[in-house]
Amino acid sequence: MRAVIKNGIGVFSPQGFLDGNNSTAFLSIDDIEATSRLNTDMILVSLKKVIFFNRNGLDTFVKMFLKVRTKTQATVGFCDYDEKKFEAIMKFYKNNLNFSLFKSQEIAGLFANSFNNQNKNVLLYSNDKSQRTAMAIELHDNGHNPIIAQTQDEFDDKSQSDNAYDVIINYTHLGQMGQNITARVTGNAIIYTISSFLDAEIGNTFNIAYHNNSLNVGFRLFIFDAYKVISMNVHALNFFSKLASSAAEYNATICFVGLTFEKTPIAFKETLEDSGIMFFEQMDDILQNKDLLNELGASSATAIHNSRPLNKVMVTELPNFINAAVATIEMMTNSKAVKEAAQINEIKIDHKENKIASSIGFYGDMDGMVILIFPIGIAKKACELLIGENTDDMELILDTLAELVNIVGGKLKTLLLDQKINVDITLPRTYPNVDSLLEITEFKKGVQVDLAFDDDKFLFFLTR
Amino acid sequence: MIFNQKNQYKNLILITKQTIDSYIEKIPPSPKVLQQTLTLLNAGELVKAANVAKEDLALNAYLKDMVNKPIYGFRNEVSDISQIFGILGVAKSQQAVYNYMITLLSPSKWKLFQLNKSSFSNLQADLSANWQKILKYLDIQDKDIESSVALLPASIIVSEALFNEKIEDVNLLRSVNPIDLNTILKRLCKMDLFDICEQIATKWEMDASISKIIQAASGVKPSDNEEINRLGKWMHLLLFFTLSQPNYINAGLNDFIDFQVDYVDDIYSNFSELMEIS
Repeated sequence: MRAVIKNGIGVFSPQGFLDGNNSTAFLSIDDIEATSRLNTDMILVSLKKVIFFNRNGLDTFVKMFLKVRTKTQATVGFCDYDEKKFEAIMKFYKNNLNFSLFKSQEIAGLFANSFNNQNKNVLLYSNDKSQRTAMAIELHDNGHNPIIAQTQDEFDDKSQSDNAYDVIINYTHLGQMGQNITARVTGNAIIYTISSFLDAEIGNTFNIAYHNNSLNVGFRLFIFDAYKVISMNVHALNFFSKLASSAAEYNATICFVGLTFEKTPIAFKETLEDSGIMFFEQMDDILQNKDLLNELGASSATAIHNSRPLNKVMVTELPNFINAAVATIEMMTNSKAVKEAAQINEIKIDHKENKIASSIGFYGDMDGMVILIFPIGIAKKACELLIGENTDDMELILDTLAELVNIVGGKLKTLLLDQKINVDITLPRTYPNVDSLLEITEFKKGVQVDLAFDDDKFLFFLTR
Repeated sequence: MIFNQKNQYKNLILITKQTIDSYIEKIPPSPKVLQQTLTLLNAGELVKAANVAKEDLALNAYLKDMVNKPIYGFRNEVSDISQIFGILGVAKSQQAVYNYMITLLSPSKWKLFQLNKSSFSNLQADLSANWQKILKYLDIQDKDIESSVALLPASIIVSEALFNEKIEDVNLLRSVNPIDLNTILKRLCKMDLFDICEQIATKWEMDASISKIIQAASGVKPSDNEEINRLGKWMHLLLFFTLSQPNYINAGLNDFIDFQVDYVDDIYSNFSELMEIS
């Protein structure tokens, strides 16, 4: 069994009965190996469709948790259970609970890095005071607004209020949290939170794929929130210097906020400044200063002229790129998709209203980005197989569009591999409107293809 | 230039209603020998039924293999078909013949699921034997209800037939979204695996109650009839109890349809008591 990965969270979903006899069939040694190689913030096992489990059944997954944590430092644990299952797991592992328990995947998502999941009002309660505090700190660090209920009565009372909270947390336990560097997005800036002692380990805990993806999809300002950093050594210094060099290729800026040099040699600051890294005392010094944000490239990516021409290899493989999109749309809609027109130029979108987009980057033997732009109604139709119901929930539609473009990326990878071209795909990104897409793609040249299924038109754009 | 190139890729559409219609159309009518055997079994004529059944050597071999599986618990090998029908009685004999009919639909080589002739027949035997146990517990004696479980594995055969050429697409789809095969089919064709099973049952003139129980056993289409719904719940839970065995998990059967935990919630404690789950 393999985990389904979405927004940096890998989820296993076993069904039925989970005991010592069958748990290794659910999770083979190969599965554990493959999971420990994944670059995810969290690995979870959903118990939603498990009607019976015992300690032996869970142990195989707990062993996997240990291996994954050792290798990737991701947060690991179980999710999607009721009170009875929660109590059972707490009882099984009362003296050795080194993984987390999240009542639902939505709650788990609050503790993970995500582009989409910010600023939620969260009511939380645990009968363990230290857990209440730990959860509140993690939620706050991830950009949410936690409200702690101090007693069960207070929790019951507050949780009755309609619409007062986006999410209500109980029956949840934080084990060792991920030591991956958490990232959150503010406007067009990405903020990474780093803490404690920074050493060679930062190479493992920093999600470089996420960072590269962010560069590929157009982010140009990266802020390291370093208030909680005590000191750094020369290995961390080298890491940040290299990061700054690669950022320079994209004309991106890296800043440190709140870093003190009481226990870090001041010479490090000079070295980092020479690499192009900037230092600020307060976060608001950057985020509240619009002129500075403009200068640093975070208010809009339109200022950046980082367009690279399509090369010969990409043009040769263009049919594969288009076919990946066509094949996916045909698979998802059960209807024939057709190419209507194509041109090599800067992206041109008529009637920008009510359109959404999704992009996925690829890198390896060749690099670039595939973008799909849909009218909202057509996007819903294209995603009908995955959504399953008529919905106007924009978050769900965008989320599903990300899944669709992820499938395009997967198909592309397979088609290119047939030509012996090896690429990896980045995480998908979605755009709730055309303007947010144009911030990334305006001035970039690429191939624009008008596609249609059932006479519903949408745009394919390939650029670098 | 590039856009003048012919599309070199095969049909990319996953599954259409036409695919399903064509599949159903290709299902052969039940063989005459089996029809006669079932008619005689229905009339309680075990000896005559055995004499007719002897004409079908494949049926003979199947029944012999089936009843000698450990789950049936016979101490000595049973080899004669009259003896088999005699031991099983009318209801179980009818169930066994229906099981054999379902195997006629199974592919010679499985691709989507890691199954073979022997493991599929083991699955049928596991389901049948435990279904008998359940019906005894529920104090139900009805040969059509006993036989209904035989149709359940048809959903696996139909999945194999419809999706085996699309394994890569299905895997790609399921790598980003944990959608089950039944839901894929329903959303794409407005018809699911259990609707197709019902069509098989109709084509083979199985009793209507069998189809109704199977539909309820899908877990997503509760029946208005309370009794059928209760049997559907037991069968749904039995299916996942069976598909939680290591060999069936390894065969890729654990998640081909969604397990509806809430649907079976009210019968779970009785089920766990009966199956001695602790």
